[in-house]
Amino acid sequence: MAYKAEISRKNPGCFLFLLDQSGSMEDPFGGGEGGRKKADELATIINKLIHNLSIRCAKSDSIYDYFHVGVLGYGQDTVVKPAFEGAIAGRDLVPISELADNPLRIEDRVKKTDDGAGGLVEQTVKFPVWFDAKWAGGTPMCGALKTASDVVQRWVSEHAKGFPPIVINITDGEATDGDPKPEAQALCSLGSDDGAVLLFNIHLSSTAGAPVELAARPDGLPDAFAKQLFEMSSQLTPFMIGRAKELGMPAEDGARGFVFNAQPVQVIQFLDIGTRPANLR
Amino acid sequence: MSSGFPFAIEAFCCPKAGNRPEEYEDAWAFRTDGAAGSARVAVADGATESSFSKLWAILLVESWVRGRAGGPEALSRLEGARRLWRRKVGGRKLPWYAAEKASRGAHAAFVGLALDPAGRRWSAAAVGDCCLFELHGVGPGLRLARAFPLTRSEEFGSSPFLVGSIARGGDDPSPHLRLAEGSLPHHGTLLFASDALSAWLLAREERGEPAWEAASRLGVADAIDFEALVTRAREEGARNDDMTLLRLTSLPD
Repeated sequence: MAYKAEISRKNPGCFLFLLDQSGSMEDPFGGGEGGRKKADELATIINKLIHNLSIRCAKSDSIYDYFHVGVLGYGQDTVVKPAFEGAIAGRDLVPISELADNPLRIEDRVKKTDDGAGGLVEQTVKFPVWFDAKWAGGTPMCGALKTASDVVQRWVSEHAKGFPPIVINITDGEATDGDPKPEAQALCSLGSDDGAVLLFNIHLSSTAGAPVELAARPDGLPDAFAKQLFEMSSQLTPFMIGRAKELGMPAEDGARGFVFNAQPVQVIQFLDIGTRPANLR
Repeated sequence: MSSGFPFAIEAFCCPKAGNRPEEYEDAWAFRTDGAAGSARVAVADGATESSFSKLWAILLVESWVRGRAGGPEALSRLEGARRLWRRKVGGRKLPWYAAEKASRGAHAAFVGLALDPAGRRWSAAAVGDCCLFELHGVGPGLRLARAFPLTRSEEFGSSPFLVGSIARGGDDPSPHLRLAEGSLPHHGTLLFASDALSAWLLAREERGEPAWEAASRLGVADAIDFEALVTRAREEGARNDDMTLLRLTSLPD
């Protein structure tokens, strides 16, 4: 049966993120109402995703390597390369423990949390930053998907019985090096004994419009780029659809790993690494 | 282990395959009172996805067996256990991710039972998917009289509501507390099991395959027998998880 492999320290899962760092990411995000660039939104999303993944793998006073994580940047003088900086610069996949221990910096931020008595209390929390906003050059998405295939191919050859890698592409969708669909199909033709690679797309658009999460159909998507990214996105597994529903996300049968102008930080919860309390927030 | 009363209590445990014994996160406890002839037993299952959940599971079962409350008051000692958890976890110097995870609290499933041997009456309380099975008969004639709080294998999921070590809004376990009462016949056995073992036992029962004798005194007499049972369960598709069996067997008068 597909997508049933246990994820454990002995059989880790793999997340590979592709970050669009092209010049067009300087443009306003979501109609420009929040005064934010698409690149700012992308940096927020990738930092939150890695943050959540680190917290998920944290266990008592340490962190378990349930996942290995890679981040490829594309843009920046039209090249595709590992995007980590600092002690892990140049590496394409690292265990989550190394990533968690090597942010660029850790900021103190104030957030409001439940005080247990029906009120809110301000709490200072650590907010690690691995990636700052970047934008330059073209959008070699085809090249990024091709490089992702190389990284994934190596991973699955070493983890043939493991859960297939999940590739998450965060972009404004405007490839400048050709039609990305064939490269996406080539990437998704790879996999382990447990199933094909899953490709999810997070579309950050300058177009204003209601956020879309895990759509099953392309109806209502605002432009051709969104529809193209939807077509490139893998269907969620039944477990993922069930988990998404538990988390209050609108996932119906046939839902794809596609998000438009939203911060899908809960996607990290879509894989099973053991009993997860329903009341854990 | 025998209590010296007309029942015996035995416990067996095994960590998740691939984990070290010290990573076992279930907990069990029992306490008998010779003068009163009563007994209290409990099994808890600390959640994989929370931190310091082994400590929390231990505090929950110890709190139950050292208390007297049952029925709707079953959670009356919860705040004391929470205070202890906070005291033991607080003040540690932790990396940022461990500190944030700990701030979300630990979680555990729990089932506890109080037995009054005078009338052979028992009362049980549970939150989550640790289960109690009441068996009647002996040997191959052993049959399931009652399963509590879950009764079907498909009810076991990977996201049950669990008892949290930190009180916060929307996290009150009281609405999720399940209660049951019964009486133990002369040829009666009470099994307490964490979720993976419970689900496997119920699945066998549903398929009409012998399940209960394998977990009774005939099937599991020592730790080696229990390891063999766990291996068999996992080969038959049981979830790879910590497994715990606590057994209270009524002995001949």
